[in-house]
Amino acid sequence: MTVADDLTDGPPPELRFRRRVSLVASIRAVWAVRELVRTLAERDLRARYKQAVLGFAWAVVPTIASVVLFTVLFDRVAEIDTGGATYALFAYFGVLTWSFFSNCVNIGGNSLVGNVAILNKVACPREVFPLTAVVTASVDWLVAAVTGVLLFLVLAEAPHVQVLWLPVYLALQLTFTIGVVLLLSSVIVFLRDLRHALPLLLQLGLFATPVVWNLRSIQGGGRVAYAAFNPLGTVIDGLRSTALLGHSPDWQLVGVSTVTSVTLLFFSYWVFKRLEPGIADVA
Amino acid sequence: MSPDGIVAAEHVWKRFRSDRTRALLRDHYLRFTSRLRGETAGWRWALRDIDVRIEPGEAVGLVGANGSGKSTLLKILTGVMYPYAGRVTVTGRVGALIEVRAGVHPDLTGRENTYLFGSLLGLSRADVTRRFDDIVAFAELEDAIDRQVKFFSSGMQMRLGFAVAAFLEPDVLLVDEVLAVGDAAFQQKCLDRMRGVLAEGTTLVFVSHDLEAVEAACRTGIWLDRGEVAVQGPIREVLGAYRSRVEEEASTDDSSGPVHLVSTTAEGATGGPLRSGKPAALAFELRTEMPLQGTFHVGISEGTATPMFTIQTEVDLGTPGEHRVACEVSSLPLPRGRFFAWVGLFDADGRDLLGWRPATAFEVDGPDLLAAPTAVVRRAPLLIESAWALDDEPLDR
Repeated sequence: MTVADDLTDGPPPELRFRRRVSLVASIRAVWAVRELVRTLAERDLRARYKQAVLGFAWAVVPTIASVVLFTVLFDRVAEIDTGGATYALFAYFGVLTWSFFSNCVNIGGNSLVGNVAILNKVACPREVFPLTAVVTASVDWLVAAVTGVLLFLVLAEAPHVQVLWLPVYLALQLTFTIGVVLLLSSVIVFLRDLRHALPLLLQLGLFATPVVWNLRSIQGGGRVAYAAFNPLGTVIDGLRSTALLGHSPDWQLVGVSTVTSVTLLFFSYWVFKRLEPGIADVA
Repeated sequence: MSPDGIVAAEHVWKRFRSDRTRALLRDHYLRFTSRLRGETAGWRWALRDIDVRIEPGEAVGLVGANGSGKSTLLKILTGVMYPYAGRVTVTGRVGALIEVRAGVHPDLTGRENTYLFGSLLGLSRADVTRRFDDIVAFAELEDAIDRQVKFFSSGMQMRLGFAVAAFLEPDVLLVDEVLAVGDAAFQQKCLDRMRGVLAEGTTLVFVSHDLEAVEAACRTGIWLDRGEVAVQGPIREVLGAYRSRVEEEASTDDSSGPVHLVSTTAEGATGGPLRSGKPAALAFELRTEMPLQGTFHVGISEGTATPMFTIQTEVDLGTPGEHRVACEVSSLPLPRGRFFAWVGLFDADGRDLLGWRPATAFEVDGPDLLAAPTAVVRRAPLLIESAWALDDEPLDR
C-alpha cells in the first residue's frame, strides 16, 4: 500500500492549520492541569525512593558527599579565597544551587522524550512534563536545604539575618532553570543526540559556575558580564554573601541576571510553543 | 455556543515524513543540505481531506486496514496531534479510552496508579477518590489494588485502565482498540459500560478491527482507506463495503496447490436468485493436477476469511482434470445482503490442496436482519425462523 509521496496534490494553502497561541491562555491551561503535575511528580518521587533501602536519604547523601569532597579538595589543597566564610558552607551553597539546576536539566531535558508514551496518547499541555521535573527537583532541593540547616548546626555557625533575601535568589534561580529546561526538553525531541551531550555540558557547567570557586575572584565589569551570562553565578554568590557574610544583595548583579533569565524564559517558552505541535509526530 | 458533544473535522490533512524517522543532528543537516540543493523532503499523506461531522449522542465506528489513518485521526480529534491543514472542532469534555499502560509505573501500587490514570485522563483527585471503590470493583481488583503493578498481569493492568476511563463521564468518548486485551467476560462488561455511556447521550467514536463489536456499539460508520474517507453512512453499509474490500484483496492471491478453483455459482434451487429461508445451490468447478482426496470446506462470511458457519464434504478426485462439486443448502439462514463463499480443500493431514480463499460473492434477497440490542455483539448475522408465544398465546410477528 503506497501512499502518494509527492505533495503536488496537497491541500489548498488557505486551509493550512494555524495554531493561535496566547501566553495567557497557555499559562491558564497549565494551571488547569496542576493536579496532573502533582501526580506525575509524586509518581516519579515514589518510584525513585520505593526500591531504595535508604529511601529519602538518597536526596541527602549526594549533597553531603559533594560538600565533603570539595572541602577536602579545594579548601585543603587548592585554598580558595572564600572572603572569610567557612569553606564547607561556602561549598554547600554552590552544591545546593548547582544540583538543583543539574537535576532539573537532567530529568527535565529528557522529560518529553522519556514520556513519549503518555504524550502520544493523552492530550495535555506539554509543559507538564518539564515542569514536573522542576517540581521533583524542588523536593530534592528542600531536602538538601534541610541538610544545610544541619550543616550550620554541626559547624556551630548561624547564618546572618540577610539570609532572608533567599526568596529573591530562589525566584531568579527558578526563572533561569525553567527557561533552560523548557528550551532543552523541546529541542531534544528533534535533536536526540543532544541527550548524549547533556552530561558533558553539565560537567563543564559545574566548573564554569562558581560552585567551588568564588565569583568575587572575577574583578569589576567582568563580574557583571558573567552575571549576564550565567545567572546561577549570581544566585550562588548572592546566597554566600547574604547568609555567610551578612552583605546585602548586589543589585547590579541581580538586575543583570534577572534580565537574562526573564528574556530566556520568554524565548524558551516561545520556542517550546512553536515546537509543541510537532512533538507527537516525531516522538 | 454549540452543544457539547460535537466532533467535527473539516478538510483535515496530515502528513508524516516518509524518510528516516530518526531525529539526529546529522539527519537534520542532511535534510538541510538536500533542501539547499533544491530537493524536496519526502513526506507522505496520512490523512487527506477528511470531512467528518458527528452530532451529539451519535455512535460512530471507525474502520479500516492497518495504516489507513484511523489512529492518526483519533489523535487529531483528541488534540494529541495537530493537523497540517483543516479545522477540528470538538466540544465538551473529551475522554479518550486509549491504552495508557505506558503511563503506569510498575513500581507503584494499583492504588497509586489509579490516581495517575485518573489525572492523565483528566479526572481530579477528588473525582478519583469519590469513585475509587467503584473503579476497583469494576476492574475486579479488590485483592490486588495495593500490590505493585509490576506483579499485575497485562489483563489486570488493562482492566484498571479501562475501569478508570469508564468512570470519566465525558461528553465525547474516543475508544481506540482497547477491548482486545481483556478476556471474554471483561469485554462484555466493557461493552455494557459503553452502552450505559451511550444511553447517557455521550458521543462515541469507536476504532476497532473487531467489526462485530463496532457493529454492536455504533449506528453509523466511517471507513478510512489510505487516509481518505471511503464510505460514510449506516454502519452495516460501511462494514459491508469494507468487508467486500477485504474479500477483493484476498481473491487476488494466486493458488499454488495442486488444485485450482475454476468457477463458482451460487443461485436459488430453481436457478433464480438466492432467497432467505429457501433452498440454495452452490457449485464449484475444480481442476486438479493429480488424483487426490481430501475434505472440501465451504464457509459463508460477510467478506473476511472468518466465516459465520462452514459446511464440508469428503471428495475423491480420482482423475486429473475438472470436477464439479455441488452442494444444496435446504434452507438458507441468511438475511438480505451481500455475502461471500470461501472454499478450501485439505488432505487428511490438514495440508492445503486448495488454500482457503474467497470463491464468489452473492446477493441474498429477503427480510432484513433483526437488530440486536445496542452494545450486544452478534458474531454471525444469521436469520433464523422462529415462532413466539406470550402466556401460551401465539404472537404474530
